[in-house]
Parts: sequence; C-alpha cells; structure tokens
Amino acid sequence: MSGSILAMTDAGYVGAAWGGAFVLIGGYALVVVRRGRKLSRRVPPGERRWS
Amino acid sequence: MTDKPASPSPGDANDAGDGAVPGDGPLHTGSPLTRVLGVLALAAVALWLLYGLVWSPPDVEMDDLVRVLYVHVPVAILMYVGSFLCTAASALWLWKRTPGWDALAVAGAELGALFCALTLLTGAIWGRPTWGTFWTWDARLTSTALLQVLLLGYLALRRVDPSPGGGSQRASILGLLLIPNSMIVHYSVDWWRSLHQPATITKLDPTIEGDMLVALMVGLVAGGLVFAWLLVHRFRLAWLEQRVDRYDLDAAVAARRAEGGVQGNPGNPGSSGNPGEPGVQPA
Repeated sequence: MSGSILAMTDAGYVGAAWGGAFVLIGGYALVVVRRGRKLSRRVPPGERRWS
Repeated sequence: MTDKPASPSPGDANDAGDGAVPGDGPLHTGSPLTRVLGVLALAAVALWLLYGLVWSPPDVEMDDLVRVLYVHVPVAILMYVGSFLCTAASALWLWKRTPGWDALAVAGAELGALFCALTLLTGAIWGRPTWGTFWTWDARLTSTALLQVLLLGYLALRRVDPSPGGGSQRASILGLLLIPNSMIVHYSVDWWRSLHQPATITKLDPTIEGDMLVALMVGLVAGGLVFAWLLVHRFRLAWLEQRVDRYDLDAAVAARRAEGGVQGNPGNPGSSGNPGEPGVQPA
C-alpha cells in the first residue's frame, strides 16, 4: 500500500467496501443479540440450555 | 439437533409481566463458547484489517483496489457456506422433522442472505473503478443476484404460512435449490464467457502468492470466525422463536377454549364471565 491507507488513490472505494461490510455485519449482530435478549425473557430457563 | 420442543407448562408466560418468565439462566443467547469465539473473532478481524489494508502490497494491475477483494472473496465464500447449511438443514428437516434442523436452516439462510448482499455490494464497489460500472448482466453477477432472490424468498416463505411447521415445509423445499444455484454461481465463470475473473484460491494451485495470499487466508479465517459466532447466536435465537411461537399458540388456543366454554354455557354458575376463566364443564 506504499506506506499508508491515506496515500491510496482508490481509498474511497476500499473504505466503502470494508466500511459497508463491517457496518452491515455489526448491525446484524446487534439486532440478533438484542432480539435474543428480548425473547430469552419469555422462555423458561430450562429451555435456554446454552449457559 | 434432535430435541423436540418442550411442551409449555402452565404459568410459563405472563408470570413476571410483559410475558417475561422468572427464573435463573442466561437472558441472552451468549455462552462461554460464544465469548471465546467472539474474542478470537475480534483478534482475527484486527489481523484481517492490518493485512488487508496495511501489510499487503498493492497489485501490479489493480493497485490498491485489490484490497476490496480481501473482503469480497471471504464474504463470497461464506455466502456459499450459508447456502450450503440452509440446503443441508432443510433436507434433514424434511427427513427428520426435528426443530433443531429447522433452526439451523433459517440461521444459514439469513447469514447466506447477509453475506450474499455483502458479496454483491463489495463486488459492485470493486467493479465501478475496474470495469467502469457498478453492475453488468454478467453470468456470475446475475446468478449471484438470483441466489440472493432465492435466499430472500426462503425467508419470506417462512412468514407466509402462520401454522406451525407450515412455513418451514414450503421454505425447506425452496431451500433445497440453494446448493444447485450456488454451484451455478461458482462455475458460471467456467461455463460461460464472463467479465468476472476465474477462481483465485478455491483450487489447489492458487493464482496469487505471498502477502496477498496471506491477506486472503486471514480474511477467510476471520470471516469464518465471525460467521460461526453469528451462526451460533442466530441458531439460538431461532430456537427461542420456535418456543415463543409455541407458547403464544397454546395461549391463544387456551383462551379460545375458555371463551368457547363461557359462550357455550351462558347459564353456567361456575363461570365468572371472564374470557380467561373457563366455566365448569358439564359431565
């Protein structure tokens, strides 16, 4: 990369690809974890056997 | 995978207000396994970023745009993994009819759809400066878009039929098509003339080497760990959804029966008229 990401001529495309991927994956992970917390409250402990 | 859904016991729902069930146990889908997996995934992602953006050299032809491929290729391979999981679990659900396979199928499909969307997104971003366009009706791109439609269709079909197992039945049949379509996506560059380059690392003799190959491999490992972490959490979420749906259905049936008992015995002295309180049934 000739030293630094700041020197990249196509930094915008690279940043968009990596940034878009991580934002989407992070957002999805957040949704799954939050929904899991919400639904866990409605299921008896015996059914949540992963502890 | 072979567990049957447990029958809801009386008083499971609504005992602690807003549907919450009191008791011990984790109020989340995490576990020691996912915590270890999460730490490993974060460390691997940090390495992936360093190799992908800093340590690997620019390509002779693509220059720094090659760095887009260090995220595009791993997410594309994980798209195949999600599709494969969905097809395999759908087939096993159609055979065994056990809820674990159904939960794995929906987890695989949802992750497959996510990573397919990322494949299309990162591919389009790479294509704009390289090919001069975000999109073209190339065989690889078109078959990947079709795979995305199939994955979204699978998820939509699950919501069409609200009866227990009804949506799973229809969606599982569609899920069987995901592996054949993934093979069409993979071999499209060999079967048809394509703008898209042929396979780079999914063969015994990779066409790249050195730090570039390492960057791709680190991306595969890091992406795989992230995928595994997401898969475990999504599987457990699907497991919870199955049980909550079952409880809701049983509660609705019980309420309906109670309502029928009240209406069918208007003069029943044992009934208070409360829909939730069944009257005394005649012998």
